[in-house]
Amino acid sequence: MSEIAVRVDHVSKKFRLYHERNQSLKSAIMRGRRSVHEDFWALKDVNFEVPTGSTFGLIGSNGSGKSTLLKCLAKIYYPEKGSISYNGKIAALLEVGSGFHPELSGRENIFLNGSILGMTKKEVTRKFDEIVDFSGVEQFIDQPVKNYSSGMYVRLGFSIAINVNPDILVVDEVLAVGDAEFQEKCSQKFVDFKKDGKTVILVSHAMAAVREMCDHAAWLSHGELVAVGEAEPTIQAYLNSLNQGEGL
Amino acid sequence: MRYLKEVLDSRELLANLTLREIRGQYKRTIFGQLWSLANPLASMLVYTIVFRFILRVSPPAGDPSGLDIFAVWLLCGLLPWTFFATVVTQGMGSVIANAGLVQKVYFPRIVLPLSKVGSVGYNWLFEMGVLVVVLVLCGAFVWPWLLLTVVAMFLLALFAGGLALMLAVANVHFRDTQYFVSIVLQIWMYLTPIIYPISLVEDQSVAYGGLFGTSITLLDIYRLNPLERFVAVFRQLLYDNRWPDPTDLLLCAIWALGAFVIGIAVFRRNEKKLAEAL
Repeated sequence: MSEIAVRVDHVSKKFRLYHERNQSLKSAIMRGRRSVHEDFWALKDVNFEVPTGSTFGLIGSNGSGKSTLLKCLAKIYYPEKGSISYNGKIAALLEVGSGFHPELSGRENIFLNGSILGMTKKEVTRKFDEIVDFSGVEQFIDQPVKNYSSGMYVRLGFSIAINVNPDILVVDEVLAVGDAEFQEKCSQKFVDFKKDGKTVILVSHAMAAVREMCDHAAWLSHGELVAVGEAEPTIQAYLNSLNQGEGL
Repeated sequence: MRYLKEVLDSRELLANLTLREIRGQYKRTIFGQLWSLANPLASMLVYTIVFRFILRVSPPAGDPSGLDIFAVWLLCGLLPWTFFATVVTQGMGSVIANAGLVQKVYFPRIVLPLSKVGSVGYNWLFEMGVLVVVLVLCGAFVWPWLLLTVVAMFLLALFAGGLALMLAVANVHFRDTQYFVSIVLQIWMYLTPIIYPISLVEDQSVAYGGLFGTSITLLDIYRLNPLERFVAVFRQLLYDNRWPDPTDLLLCAIWALGAFVIGIAVFRRNEKKLAEAL
């Protein structure tokens, strides 16, 4: 396991906390373009590598920078310092069904959403049946998605995303969609993913799920990397720190 | 170059987003695409009554087509203008309207404003098609000029797209932009010879002579407006049925390419910061 899928190289991400933000032109001109802000470093010099073929969990309390890191991995945010390099095609699953047009049918939305996620029309056509089958909404595929139940909506969104078939999949806490049956299908899909030697990076608060799925983990606290490595010791260390916190 | 390649790679996405707009736009309406004609027709009616019958504006007859119908003359300038104004307005708001998408999925953001050029352009194509039918029915011989008309339409689309790209970025940072631009567009329309012929401006310009002791006339300043050139070209092609003035056409091309190149450059520089700034 020496191959690296993702290299997070001394990444730092800064946000500006505005006290007086120049959000209107007037205030920008009146104050001479200067806005009053202080820097908040959401990620401080985070540095780790994700081995190819691993399922990698990002853990930490609220506000520890997990989601920021995930968004950096998904190329939505760009780090101020450091860089992230990938070895393979990456797809991010931060929200399912984003970009669905409510008035369009499920079929039309599959093609639309697929291309937003970076699939070509050919790929979508090829995987169309698989997507529909996985989502379990065959019966309603030509209905506008606004008439879908919320469960159907997420299931369809998830099915599209999971079929992008990337080398590296970045997942936010979206695993908890659909009913028990659908969740079972999802976990099976992740197992298949792993079998194919693909890399999954996920964020979750559900330690049981992380324990079950991940073989590697990184623990973030207040934007800093506390520990990284095999899943079990890292999770244990994180849980211990929580218990200590409660004890105090 | 790499940026261009990425944009080119996402042309399928661009096509799909454009289709989303087109398909979604008139869903659940009885008249569907016909609604696209309702606005220009209403404006045509109002402007014809006010400017033709009340204010007695009379544009010169088409030369050599011989057409002398105010409503048709008006539409030759009004349809391009409406397209331009709609692309600028909608393109400017496109990034904000898709904030949810921008913050959740990575894709070249430039497709958002560009898809608006596509979807509004589709409506425009439909409107222009109807206009051509009307022109033919009125006895104009437009066929030889259609190809050049399409070229002019393409140039105007580039110009509008370029402006929309710049304004979309500005609008994310300052929401004032959208209100400001809607006022500017209103003024801009009346500063363009759409509902009155440019000959009226020429008359005034001659009356005033050189401004501030120079040889620059009112008309020279007036003609700096790129839309004036575009409207002139469209009228020469469709209403007069003759070769457009080469200077006009060349200036249209320069404005179009200039705006588009700057628009892409501005957008590209700011693209990465959009998700955070929203």
